[in-house]
Amino acid sequence: MKASYKWLRELVPQLTASPKELAARLTGAGLEVEGLTEYGEGAEACLLVSVVAIRPHPTKSGLRLVTVDRGGVQQEVVCGAPNVPDPGGMVVLAPLGAHLPAAGLTIAKRAIGGVESEGMLCSESELGLSDDEGGILVFPSAYAKPGTPFVAMVPNARDTVLEIGLTPNRPDGLGHIGLAREICALYNFPFALPKADRSPAGEPGTSRIREANVATKDLVAIQVDDAERCPHYGAAGAVDVVVQPSPPSVRYRLQALGVRSISNVVDITNILMLEWGHPMHAFDLDRVRPTSAPRIHVRRAKAGESIVTLDGVTRMLVEDDLLICDGEGPTALAGVMGGATSEIHVGTTRVLFECAWFDPRGVRRSARRHGMHTESSHRFERGVDPGDVAHVLARAVALTCELAGASATKGQVHVQGARVSDEAAPPSRKTLVLREARIEGLLGIRIPFADALSILERLGCTIAKREEGRAEVLVPTHRPDLGREVDLVEEVLRVHGIDHVPAELPPVRASRDIGGREELASRARTAAVALGLSEAITFSFTSRATLEALGAPEPTVILKNPLAEHQAVMRTSLLPGLLDAVRNARRHGERDVKEFTIGPVFLARNGKRPARPADETLPDERLRLAVVLAGERPAWLTRPVPFDVWDMKGYAIELASRLSGQPAESAAFDRAAIPRHLHPRGAAKLVVAGQEVGAFGILHPDAASALELDGEVLVLEMELDPFVAGPKLPAFSAIPKFPASPRDVALVVKDGIPAGDVVSAVRAAAGPLAEDVRLFDRFVGGQVPAGHSSLAIRVVYRAPDRTLTDADVDAAHANVVKAVSERFGATLRA
Amino acid sequence: MSNGDANPVSAAIDRALSELREGFLPRFRAAATEQALRDENAKILGKKGELTAVLKELGKAPPESRKAIGEKVNALKQDVEAGFQTALGELRRKARQAELDAPPFDLTLPARTPVTVGHRHPIAAVREEVVAVFRSLGFAVFDGPDIEHEANNFSMLGFPPDHPATDMQDSFWTESGHLLRTHTSNIQIRAMTSMKPPMAFIAPGSVYRRDDDATHSPMFHQIEAFLVDKNVTLAHLKGVLAEFAERLYGPGTPVRLRPSYFPFVEPGAEVDVGCVFCKQPDGTRAGCNMCKRTGWIEILGCGMIHPVVFENCGIDPDEWSGFALGMGLERIAILRYGIPNIKLLFENDPRFLAQF
Repeated sequence: MKASYKWLRELVPQLTASPKELAARLTGAGLEVEGLTEYGEGAEACLLVSVVAIRPHPTKSGLRLVTVDRGGVQQEVVCGAPNVPDPGGMVVLAPLGAHLPAAGLTIAKRAIGGVESEGMLCSESELGLSDDEGGILVFPSAYAKPGTPFVAMVPNARDTVLEIGLTPNRPDGLGHIGLAREICALYNFPFALPKADRSPAGEPGTSRIREANVATKDLVAIQVDDAERCPHYGAAGAVDVVVQPSPPSVRYRLQALGVRSISNVVDITNILMLEWGHPMHAFDLDRVRPTSAPRIHVRRAKAGESIVTLDGVTRMLVEDDLLICDGEGPTALAGVMGGATSEIHVGTTRVLFECAWFDPRGVRRSARRHGMHTESSHRFERGVDPGDVAHVLARAVALTCELAGASATKGQVHVQGARVSDEAAPPSRKTLVLREARIEGLLGIRIPFADALSILERLGCTIAKREEGRAEVLVPTHRPDLGREVDLVEEVLRVHGIDHVPAELPPVRASRDIGGREELASRARTAAVALGLSEAITFSFTSRATLEALGAPEPTVILKNPLAEHQAVMRTSLLPGLLDAVRNARRHGERDVKEFTIGPVFLARNGKRPARPADETLPDERLRLAVVLAGERPAWLTRPVPFDVWDMKGYAIELASRLSGQPAESAAFDRAAIPRHLHPRGAAKLVVAGQEVGAFGILHPDAASALELDGEVLVLEMELDPFVAGPKLPAFSAIPKFPASPRDVALVVKDGIPAGDVVSAVRAAAGPLAEDVRLFDRFVGGQVPAGHSSLAIRVVYRAPDRTLTDADVDAAHANVVKAVSERFGATLRA
Repeated sequence: MSNGDANPVSAAIDRALSELREGFLPRFRAAATEQALRDENAKILGKKGELTAVLKELGKAPPESRKAIGEKVNALKQDVEAGFQTALGELRRKARQAELDAPPFDLTLPARTPVTVGHRHPIAAVREEVVAVFRSLGFAVFDGPDIEHEANNFSMLGFPPDHPATDMQDSFWTESGHLLRTHTSNIQIRAMTSMKPPMAFIAPGSVYRRDDDATHSPMFHQIEAFLVDKNVTLAHLKGVLAEFAERLYGPGTPVRLRPSYFPFVEPGAEVDVGCVFCKQPDGTRAGCNMCKRTGWIEILGCGMIHPVVFENCGIDPDEWSGFALGMGLERIAILRYGIPNIKLLFENDPRFLAQF
């Protein structure tokens, strides 16, 4: 909401606070002033001068030399405008030294085509009054004494505009009257509504209402079919209207607030909207059909009906749209935008003003449905004051008499459901009970009850009844947001000042975690970061195609209204987001990516019971961790080597061990069970305590190409929920007292025999004395026959209660060689 | 028998011993390496050494002089041993000194990093920090789903059915009629419908809104905190906010509440903290572009839980009261680290992540 400081001062004459001070006070009360802008700054130093003579420029065609009278003193200025008036006409002179911010210049003495010019005749755009560049500003002769400062004659050409970011619960703030009332409440000034005949420019009542000898109700028949959507339709009329441009005072008041001045009658509706926050509409009564007996019909649209709104767009209507129609068809989408059929034009002589109250939710639905957001819909959606209809209409007619030389038609017409009258029935007001104790109970600060009630009265409430520690409060019609006691408490707080509430730490009766996933995620994050991985935060949505390329489960959560195809379904795997990160990094020339992400996947419930029965219909959200490795492993002073699947095995096992507190291991998939996103030669499952918790390996080349990734990418995805209880605590085991006896054995085995199987067999054969069995070298080539490799395995023997003799160890170790040669045909390396 | 009656064998032995006594030290000193020294020592004391050879002659000496010779031999043997140790020590000292005096190692070579530590995402770092602050005040974490019932996200919180936030324009809806939660305030409903007050919870998590432009991401993160107990007041909310600002932004950080409107709190307020970018040494704020010259930066929204919310959850608002506050983690991270653009937070560029 743009608010004019000047206008507010007119409505609150006691206000002495500067715009900046006022802005701070309003912001502190919840009407956040987001900015202050100066309007017509350039107009400040300008003078109204009369044209004395005009002659052509000696050298430049298109320029003229204009002699102007600035009050006894004459000067000549160079002017390029095509519309310099004949001698006697008045124009606006920016004298030497005048600063015109809108034009980005300060007037200095300069020669134009060899002729010195000490000033400039200005257009509205140069003065910052509008964006109209169609020539200089011209006023009739004798408009003012030559040399009069422009803003002394047209005060509204200079203003400060407050940009107020109103919360949606404050429709009253969408008009200057509501803001004035608020300001009076904040500063404890008396507030009075302006009289109906008060001039729009702020000068005290110059309007003289003439009454025509015709009744409004005889001019038009009004029928309202849907009293729920339009509980109040009010109308008033004016005849003998002369449509013409508005005077400068009205024109600049509107333009300061960003509203284009159209004509006196249209401007009146806009002035009233900005004053009362109540949008209204003006019909050319001679264009309301049938013209012989004009008719206005408020009804819902019929299926298939359409309307061309003022913006020239044809709108296909649905039955939920509320229309203002004349006898032949729709003329306006109620509360949103009018149509062109009965628009005010230069020849209009009879005007019917409409001021209605439309159901906010209906207006909101229509506006949204048609993708429209207008000054009108903005206000109706939030709830205009149902109590000001008669006042606004009276004011519209009075202003039409003043600005358009019109006469008022007799009486107003108010249709309120079945009731049709020339007087509006006042809307009912809600009664709320305010308890004194509630104020302190909620705010933690004592505010005397009398002070609290006084604040409410200043905001327009009426104290209907006051008892000990309790009052019945009648809520004003302009505050639809006040619906409960607590709303009154907030009003008291706002006006009293939220800064007066002290800060106290509460005694907290502590709660216990529900779910435990935050701690779980935090532990996983700590583990992953400690291992050198960086955290990516990835979107929960992805595309069906990406999931398909990765062989992930079918998405079960499909968005009805995604923003884009690549965000159309909820992920069933964490990999899409991580692989996006790899692709993005590569696009930027970064090939090395070591990242992890933690987050939920959204799976079908498949009979899994939720913690709360009501969540049966929600997907099974499982917390997972995924890792991606791409590019090269860091190395020291050697050529770095690409990450391979054993790197990923290391991350996988380490992460699972740290999270579980138990040894984790990898295990081969059955060929048929290898996840589709993994390379069949480089895929394994991650196992903790016999439970499969994830899978890792080389990203399948088909998936990599489908996702436009080149080079080898390694991925891990694992469940986190199995570790929610925290890691198993380590149990102390005694430090050995007796020395170990390591023995190495190099076994030549055929390719295709998994090294892990050989190590397991060694471990089994070495018996209880073998404390540790480890593969420490693998050698191919040299004297090792082709199709074979040599596996060097160290077995560490130790007894807990004695030093082993060579004989003990030899016996155990002989068993090892025997077992592996029998089982795998392995031979000792020569 | 007198000493003058020198037995020729005894005399020869004596002569040999004297020669050895005279010669062993210079011989040791001449050895340039430890090995040479050991060799020299072995030549004297070894099994085939010179002193051993002398001893072998002892049997030929007259019995009465054997004892004296034996004593001489032993004394010499000990002296040779001591001389060897001294020479060895000297050799080692020299070698150590030579090693110490050699040219220094090139420590300008790059470090060999033990482990290249990874990086927490800035949003996660802020999330953990905020959670820690509230945990220390007695709050616990209440988990909730990202896909939510309309009721928990909107209607139970007092959003009217036609509220703009609820329509297809602003919120993501699923084909099964649920929605992606638009805020973490859904946890208020989940907590209050599943347990009785008192309760003190925080709820961090992802939230979703249909906005994707220079300053909005369709997925972002919030943390909700709420306290429900008897006699909870706005003053308590201010106390918690002051503590929060103190812990997150440093001691003495001022907090300002501006009344505002959210459907599920009343009174409601937006919270500003003193600008962290233009803070002066004396604690005042000079005003800068980050705070639009106001000295204040908005960080969260809050208020007293609306009685309608309590009633919807079957809690008597005359018996219980509470406050709730909610903040966007992206905004806090952006302000904290001076990140110019929200999009950077979701691109996961390794060069970006490595900065935190």
